[in-house]
Order: sequence, then C-alpha cells, then structure tokens
Amino acid sequence: MSFRRLLRRWQGALLSIVGIVATVWLGASGQLGLYIHPRYFVFTVVMAVFAAALVVAAFALVPATEDAHELLDDDGGRWAWLWSAGSILIIGSAIVALLVLPPATLTTATVAKRDLNGSTSDLTQSEASSLVGGDYSTFTVRDWSSLLRQGAGEDFFADKTATVIGFVTPDTSDPENVFFVARFVVSCCAVDAQPVGIPVYYPGWQDEYPTDSWVAIESGFDTNPSISSEEAIVLVPGEITPTDQPAQPYVY
Amino acid sequence: MPQDMQMSQNAAARPFTARRRPGRGLIVGLVIIGLVILLRAFAPETPAGTLTDTARDFVTLSISVVIESLPFVFLGILLSIVVQTWLPEGFLLRRLPKNPAARRVVLSLLGMLLPVCECGNVPLARGLIAKGLTVGESMTFLFAAPILNPVTIITTQQAFGWDSGILVWRIAGGFLIANLIGYIYSRHPKPEALLTPRFQDACALGDRHDAADGKIKRSADLFTKETSAMLPALFIGAGLAGLIQTAVSREVLVTLGSNPVWSVLALMALAFVVSICSNVDAFFILSFGATFMPGAIVAFLVFGPMIDIKMLALLRTTFTAKTLVQLTLIVALCSAVLGLAINYVV
Repeated sequence: MSFRRLLRRWQGALLSIVGIVATVWLGASGQLGLYIHPRYFVFTVVMAVFAAALVVAAFALVPATEDAHELLDDDGGRWAWLWSAGSILIIGSAIVALLVLPPATLTTATVAKRDLNGSTSDLTQSEASSLVGGDYSTFTVRDWSSLLRQGAGEDFFADKTATVIGFVTPDTSDPENVFFVARFVVSCCAVDAQPVGIPVYYPGWQDEYPTDSWVAIESGFDTNPSISSEEAIVLVPGEITPTDQPAQPYVY
Repeated sequence: MPQDMQMSQNAAARPFTARRRPGRGLIVGLVIIGLVILLRAFAPETPAGTLTDTARDFVTLSISVVIESLPFVFLGILLSIVVQTWLPEGFLLRRLPKNPAARRVVLSLLGMLLPVCECGNVPLARGLIAKGLTVGESMTFLFAAPILNPVTIITTQQAFGWDSGILVWRIAGGFLIANLIGYIYSRHPKPEALLTPRFQDACALGDRHDAADGKIKRSADLFTKETSAMLPALFIGAGLAGLIQTAVSREVLVTLGSNPVWSVLALMALAFVVSICSNVDAFFILSFGATFMPGAIVAFLVFGPMIDIKMLALLRTTFTAKTLVQLTLIVALCSAVLGLAINYVV
C-alpha cells in the first residue's frame, strides 16, 4: 500500500474531519458568528454531524487502499509526486488555518478594501426612514450610520445621544483627528462583510486607542471641527472606554 | 498463467475483496478524529501577533468561504449518494422525457426539487452522470439548478421584489443559458472527451459495483471518493477567493457602476471573484445597491451562480480545462449580452 495511494484515497476524509471539527468547535464555543450569518448556524452544524457519521462509517467499512483500476492515470509519471505534495500542502494549510490559528474577525485592512459606508442601497435607505422616531438608546453603529448616510441634518442629531460599541479604524481624509467607530454588516458570511461606521472627532486618538481595538462610546453629535475631514457630523465624546470584542462582532 | 489471469480478473470485478480485520479502520479513524480535536483544544488561544492584518484577513475570508460552503457540499454529496445507491435503478432518469430538448427543460427544473446551491450541485451532477445522464444534460442541470431553485428565488424576491424585473430576468436568463449550453454540448461528437480521465474511470467503475456490498458500505465508499475529489478543490477555491479579495480593492469595481457597459463587466468580475453562493448573492449585491444599473445586477446574478473561482475549482474535478474555458466564455458572453440588453433596451 503506497503512501501516495493512501493519501489519494483518504485526503477527502481527512479534510472532512478538519472541517467538521472546526465547524462543531466554532459552534460549541459560540464563534461561528465570526464567519457566517446566524441563520445558517443550525444547518451548518447539522450537516457537520451527518458528515461526521459518514466519515466514521468510511473508516469502519471502506478498505484502506483503492483497487488498481482507479489509478490508471496515476501510476508512473515523473511528476506524480507533485500530486502528493499538493495534497499534503492543502491538508497542512487547512489544519493550520482551521485548527491552529485562533478564530478572528476581519480587520481595518478589509475596511480599506471595501469603502466604509460606501453602500447607499434601497434597503438601508428604507430602513433609515423607519428608524426616525425609534428608541435611540438601542441604536447600533449600523442604524446611526444609515441615518448619517441618508443625510439627516444637524438639527436632527442636535439632541441625540449615541451609545455604541465598535472597533477603531482611521478616517482616511483626516487620520490625525478623526476615526470611525465601525462594525461589519454581514448578510451571508464574512466574505460579503460591508464596513459601516460613525465618525468620531478625538485628536490624538492613536495614542490611546490602537486601530482595530474595540471601544464603547456614549456621546452627542456635533459639527465636525476638523478642516480636512470629509465627514460633516461627528461624535465628540468626552470619554471613550476600551472594551472587549463582543461575542457577535458583526451586525446583521 | 491463465489461472493467474483469471484470478486477477476476479479481483478486478470485485473491487472490495481487499478485506481486513474489522474494527481496525474504525480505531484508526477515531484516533485521527481524537488527535484533531486535541489539536483544536490545545491550540494557542490568543492571537500570535505575527500575522499582519492583511494576512489575517486573508485567512479569515478563506475560512469563511470554507465554513459557509462545506455544509452545502456535504448536502450535495449526501444527495448524490442517495441518487446513486438508495434510489431504485433509473428512478430519476427513467421519468425524464425522451425528446432531448424536453429532457433538458425538465432537468433545468430539477433544482426545484433538490434545492442545493452551486457547490452542492457538482457532486450531485457527478452522481447523475455516473447514472447515465449525458454530459450536455448534466451541464444544463449544473447551470440551471442554482438559479431555478426555491431558496434562490425567495431570497432574490426578498431582495429586489417582483416589480424591478430583476427576478424575472434572472430566472429567464439562467433557464435560457443553461438550455443553450446543454444544446451546444449535446452536439459534441465525443462527449466523454469533455470529462477528466479520472472521472471517466470512476464512472466506468461505478457500473461494476459488487452487488454483494451493502448499501451502507457503498455509501461510505462513495463518500470517501467524492470528498477526496471535491474537498481539495473547495479548499483551493476558498484560498484563491480569499487571496484575490485581500489583493483587489473593491472601490475600483464600484466606481465603474454607473456606466451601462462597464457596470455589467465590473459586476461580472465581482461575481467571479467573490464566489458567493447563489442562495444569498441577491442580498450581497443589494448591499452595493443603487450605484449599479439593473442590467449589471442581472448579469451578476446570472453569471455568478454558474461560473466563479470556487465553482471552476470544483468543476475541474469533472471537466477538462479546455471545456471549462469554453464554458466560461459562453456563459460570460451570454450574461454580458443579457445585461447590456437590459441596460440599453428595457
């Protein structure tokens, strides 16, 4: 039983185990939300359990190596070892990514790639109009950024207080004085995450709150004192509290 | 010598004669699973801090594609196993009409009964080919089912409603392109040449399955074969999708949004890159929203489920590279024509 045949036969089962263990562990530790929308949690875990049953059945029932017929294109060939090397590379990468590295949220690097507050879709606009008159104390970063994007005027924001949690990401037009308290909006999985955020005027914020750290802010809105920033209305907090990353880092 | 030959023929006709002590494989399997669980449990809890933000996001995005697609791939493999081992011989194929065009039309509606998104359709289509579906017919099923399925239709309707026409164009476009491709490849003189040699062998072997093997054992055997074919492709596709997303800025694509020609091409490029499942892509493109013209959104919603990075990696398990290049070109051209027609005419 050559190693190459063994690998070819069982690479799928090995990758399945890696995927299943990672999925179930993420589900059990409440971290599936880092990668997919909560509406898929049950489906994902149930399919992982089904697949686990099949993997165990495969190990119990299936012979260790394939018969010769399935290897017609495999035997001989000077470069056949490349296939094995590729398989080992894929399995190794999967183990490192899914099992060794700690689960993580997306960072500011992705904010920069994805145009913060760039989307002005029908959905967020209709939501914004239904937001007006709601319970402002429960508003998330997403709700406030919808209102800001919709262009509600200074009068509207004058007497409002935002109580929000988000991560710190710099304002590209005035990174010295303004940062965004931001969240990712996820509609399916982290792949489609869209960053939204509320601008915060706080000169010298870098010294106290590193980029990508999580903060809680309770503050009123005001006209942006920054000259170079493109944001018209900002939060001007007296105090910013560093906080832990919430269990659900994305908003939906 | 003749006796030897006869023995080896017997062995060939009965692929699973290589028995071993029962229970040993089970123990090996459980040990491997146990080791993997231990590795996950004792992996360092805090971020190592050695990765840059970009590298971390590449890993996060790739994992996200894997975690999101894996259950659909498992579901597709399960359905494929059901079709190949548990349904009576010819249960699905016998009920199809005899007329080739009518067969393709019925096949393109099969997704209504088997609501799997595109990554699950690949193993299912492989199962159907092994059961006697022609290559052209399998393509019609592959390309129509992700769009013409209840989950996709409901999510698209939730995202865009009936009035905008996007849902109707999506369904019509998916149906027409899938049937066109089925028709084109039904004219191919040697359809088996479109398949990879390895998959041809697997199909040929499928006919010789030993009736003495129990259904559970055959199911387990199919599971190891299908996962060994599909999962490496899925992981490669996820890695590529993650890599391109961290390397290419989306702003470039979005700024092209209001031009009737460029918006179509930009959104098709976006669909190719993000490799998102057809069940949810409507919500995704809605978040880009009003900046894009309707023709571009339809092109995204028609092209994306049929062809993207992850899908090409999965399809490569079954079709030759040349076939995939042709398919990509045909689907891209048709989607672009559809999108441009909607932008200019409707």
